[in-house]
Amino acid sequence: MSGRRFAARNKVAVVGYAHSAVQRHAARPLGAVTLETARAAIADAGLTPADVDGIVTSALFPTAGSHAVQDGVSSVPATWLAERLSSGARHVAGFHGIGQIPGMVGMAVNAVASGAAQTVLVYRALHNPPGKYHANSMERAAGPAQWTAPQGFFGPLAMIGLPYNEYLQRYNADRAAMASVVVEARKNGSRIPWSYWHKRPLTAAEYLAAPMISDPVCRYDCDIPVDGVAAFVLTSAEHAADLPHRPVYVSGYASGLPARRRLPLHWPLDDIMDVGTETARRLWEASGVGPAEVDLPQLYDGFSPFVYFWLEALGFCPRGEAHRFVQDGRIDSDRPDGLPVLSGGGALGNGRMHGIPQMLECYLQLAGRAGDRQRAGATVGVACHSSPHYGGAVVYTAEPS
Amino acid sequence: MSTPAAARPLPMPDETSGPYWSAAADHILALARCARCGSFALPPDQVCPHCRSTDPDYAFEPVSGRGTVRSWTVVRQSGLPGFAADLPFVLVDVELAEQTELRMIGRLLDGPGALAGSDPALRLGARVRVAFEDVHPGVGVPAFTLAVTEPSGVTEPSGGVR
Repeated sequence: MSGRRFAARNKVAVVGYAHSAVQRHAARPLGAVTLETARAAIADAGLTPADVDGIVTSALFPTAGSHAVQDGVSSVPATWLAERLSSGARHVAGFHGIGQIPGMVGMAVNAVASGAAQTVLVYRALHNPPGKYHANSMERAAGPAQWTAPQGFFGPLAMIGLPYNEYLQRYNADRAAMASVVVEARKNGSRIPWSYWHKRPLTAAEYLAAPMISDPVCRYDCDIPVDGVAAFVLTSAEHAADLPHRPVYVSGYASGLPARRRLPLHWPLDDIMDVGTETARRLWEASGVGPAEVDLPQLYDGFSPFVYFWLEALGFCPRGEAHRFVQDGRIDSDRPDGLPVLSGGGALGNGRMHGIPQMLECYLQLAGRAGDRQRAGATVGVACHSSPHYGGAVVYTAEPS
Repeated sequence: MSTPAAARPLPMPDETSGPYWSAAADHILALARCARCGSFALPPDQVCPHCRSTDPDYAFEPVSGRGTVRSWTVVRQSGLPGFAADLPFVLVDVELAEQTELRMIGRLLDGPGALAGSDPALRLGARVRVAFEDVHPGVGVPAFTLAVTEPSGVTEPSGGVR
């Protein structure tokens, strides 16, 4: 597979957004919150539902627990929303895979670029079910689970605990170094009105005192499950010029797929980094920028170690160095010379919104809509989601060249 | 109200795994080997992960059960039933001796004590060997124990904790 320039580079733009409240349990069903958020995003773009002819999402309900998946309650597929938003959608599609945000944005961009739709609503609706998020009452481990569950390897906590410990051991890193990452995410999230952690920053001491869950992963290395919805409107660059907000263009995207078959949820460090480095190479080739041009590398942080992995995969520091790179204010978005890797608060600072905070921060900053945290002169952003070897990233720009 | 402690999930052998589980019941680790390229596959996918044959015609062959630790995690909350009495427990990510990157995950039956002290026995590269937990009549589940480490001559633990 030869990587190459993304033919639709900067031909499609984000022109509006909306975000629901982020709550542990919303008072109303997820579907209703999604419909409201979709309508608000369309209005923000200066459009009406009749103007939207494409609807794209990724509807995955990412729990390992034994929770039923019910459309409109725990998951909101594109067809569910299309039936309720308007009758005009001609392109209704869903992304199936990990790295849902770059996956669905790529589908939306391609729909607009190809003419399958002129204006696409993309959204992500996330649900926190009653009871423990990952609790599973399985008595029989069938299919892929038979290779892992009988011996107690199960769910995303052990999944991330293994490669994170592999990293700490191999590079002689201290887990206390991660306090810089988590404190930065919570600082920024505490300033976001809809965040679950609004006005609730975290100190390094609180981070270090948190109980371990799957060593070396502690409670605050994990985002908190929530009910929340975000929606964006994408349209052609030509059409975007007529709309109220400054467009933010999609320059390119890339996603990874593991090179080796593994046991379910076995994500060894070398798999993450080898494939992740290739994901980054394709991202730069598609979008025409490199790490030196990126003002806003919004790194995925659903589990904090992904921040290290993305920093290294994208080339902001050498492999094995991220635990040092994040120290001494170098990722502090309040410092003019800081690299703002979590200025949008991330998932750790907002709640389990997957890669939405990363995408939204790129949009808000590059559209000049970031309010008090607006960064002067930011023109290129990268929004990452999931692991570098299973997820992906999207490059956004304010200035198509 | 008292309810009996939940049992651990039992493996459901199927057409891809029957010989694996019947060997495990006898405390033998037997892995699927592709008839086309001779590589081990864990799990045995319908397409050989090495030569990509769609007809791998796997045979299950006993392996040494020896390997080295590539990583570990200490599990303090389990999402599954049946592990509460074992918490906290250690999971090890093991590269088996038979093939590069042939990796398997299981409980380290030595437990978190293997991480104690200034020079813990559990470290990257520590040698382990397979062990089996008899979780139900006729069902053995693979796990690991620390093996003798060669140059330092640390003694081998006396066996599983169960």
